[in-house]
Amino acid sequence: MGFDFNSLLAFIIFGITIGVVYGIVALGISLIYSGLDIVHFAHGEMYMFGAFFGLVLVHDAGFPYPIALVGAMVLTALLGMFVERVFYRRLTRAGGGYTVAGMGMIICGFGMSVALVNVAYFIWGAEAEPFRANLDYIPRLEFGDGIQVPESYVLTAIISVVLMLALNYFLRYTKIGLAVRAVAHNKEIAYLMGINVPLMISLIFGLACARAAAAGVLIGPMQSVQVEMGYLMLMKAFAAAVVGGFGSLPGAIVGGIMVGIFENLGAAYISPSHKDIYAFLLLILVLSIRPSGLFGIEAKVKA
Amino acid sequence: MLQVNKVEAGYGKLKILRGVTMTVPQGEIVTLLGGNGTGKSTMLKAVSGLIPVMSGNIIFDGVDISTMKPHERMRLGLVQVTQSKEAYPAMTVEENLMLGAYTRSDRASIAADLEKVYGFFPVLKERRKQLSATLSGGEVQMLVIGRGLMAGPKMLMLDEPSAAIAPKVVLEIFSNINKIAKSGVTILVVEQNVRMALILANYGYIIRDGVIMMEGKADSLISDPAVKESFLGGSVADTSKKLQSG
Ligand SMILES: Nc1ncnc2c1ncn2[C@@H]1O[C@H](COP(=O)(O)OP(=O)(O)OP(=O)(O)O)[C@@H](O)[C@H]1O
Ligand SMILES: [Mg+2]
Repeated sequence: MGFDFNSLLAFIIFGITIGVVYGIVALGISLIYSGLDIVHFAHGEMYMFGAFFGLVLVHDAGFPYPIALVGAMVLTALLGMFVERVFYRRLTRAGGGYTVAGMGMIICGFGMSVALVNVAYFIWGAEAEPFRANLDYIPRLEFGDGIQVPESYVLTAIISVVLMLALNYFLRYTKIGLAVRAVAHNKEIAYLMGINVPLMISLIFGLACARAAAAGVLIGPMQSVQVEMGYLMLMKAFAAAVVGGFGSLPGAIVGGIMVGIFENLGAAYISPSHKDIYAFLLLILVLSIRPSGLFGIEAKVKA
Repeated sequence: MLQVNKVEAGYGKLKILRGVTMTVPQGEIVTLLGGNGTGKSTMLKAVSGLIPVMSGNIIFDGVDISTMKPHERMRLGLVQVTQSKEAYPAMTVEENLMLGAYTRSDRASIAADLEKVYGFFPVLKERRKQLSATLSGGEVQMLVIGRGLMAGPKMLMLDEPSAAIAPKVVLEIFSNINKIAKSGVTILVVEQNVRMALILANYGYIIRDGVIMMEGKADSLISDPAVKESFLGGSVADTSKKLQSG
């Protein structure tokens, strides 16, 4: 029995699709980090809430899937902005990063994560719910010798790429994007340029949480939706962000794709029952070669 | 143009300014002098709104701005350039300058002001496509002053524009500050280079431990024996004598 290149190709393709989803969640974590100097530990719950919002919009409200995707992004952005404004703002005002307030911020993030899981548990219960989405209008892709890529994967890849490009365009070429980059680099000076800094901070949070929600709605139909789904996603997205270089936006995407591929190959060729540890093996591997991650140098010159 | 009345301000509960009163008349250059840690930057931050005013008030152009947010004060035409001289390193020189015009939307007048800034500092025009991370210290100082000008200020506050810059470049920057003032922008400049600042300015304030210790017309301050002794370091002979004995 020779080596089967066809299935290798299939594993890589599936790895990339799931990897771009890790990438867009990691993008949000990196955006919040570079913008606010805080590591957002409740980001996995934004992903989980996004998935539930999408599910409710499709199953209970009867919206078509694409509208539910946008709706979930908007609702989760609002949830994120609310949480930031009401709970985090008090702490970040005292200074983020490595200060004492920064430590408080990390603990606050963990607390928020637990609180949000419990709120979701209260609303939706502990059962895993299947996310039935009608995706028949999306074509299946065929590669090489009959590798079939299901609709939900095709859709995921397309939407994730669109979301990344949109964010890149926004940050590079729009006036508000310029303001966001200015806030990310130095809030005092951004203030002195006449930028409404608190508003930009809300915007950064909203954008980051909307991206996590999109990931939730995209992953929903592949797996199922459950209140504790956030933890694992947070871990993978963190691994992706760190592999790429914390705070670097392109790094988040590249890191996500690497984690996705590595994890799929590991599951296929080493052992499928330890699928979730491969992300961390990759993490250790990359950090031992490049301690600041792949794009770590750029991360120092933020935004 | 700017009137600061008995202002107290500081960081958290720590009070640094203990009742400062200052006036900056329209169209003039006023300088605020003092040694390290005497509260000069704190004063500018209180005026621009980066730190809250604990008591007293600040009137700018007839409006009480004491409780306004920094971006609101800036929109009134009160622009501060910070001491840290921070440009955005990952943006080009021109992007940095355009960021200064963030609050404005009239393209024609923005373009005209950009040309004006390039007129004051031709080196910025040469380097306009370069990332600002690659500029020298003097060039960054010109860039941040230029960025302040791009906001179209009525009043510009500068925090130690001469710090850590070669004397020749300081001269160039100061002569441009003079030109900027002539073009109608009121200027409040914080300095430790007392001699240069008093030559440039019309009026000076000297601050120590958060209170104004002395004030007066620049030409009378520069010849004042007390100022000479404590800030201008006496004559060269005096200084070398002190070095020997100290
Ligand atoms: N962010 C801050 N938090 C707490 N204290 C501060 C802060 N910034 C400055 N101080 C303190 O306030 C006092 C005045 O500082 P300020 O920066 O106004 O001095 P300065 O006159 O500008 O000095 P320099 O010429 O060295 O810039 C100093 O004792 C300083 O330690
Ligand atoms: Mg200072």
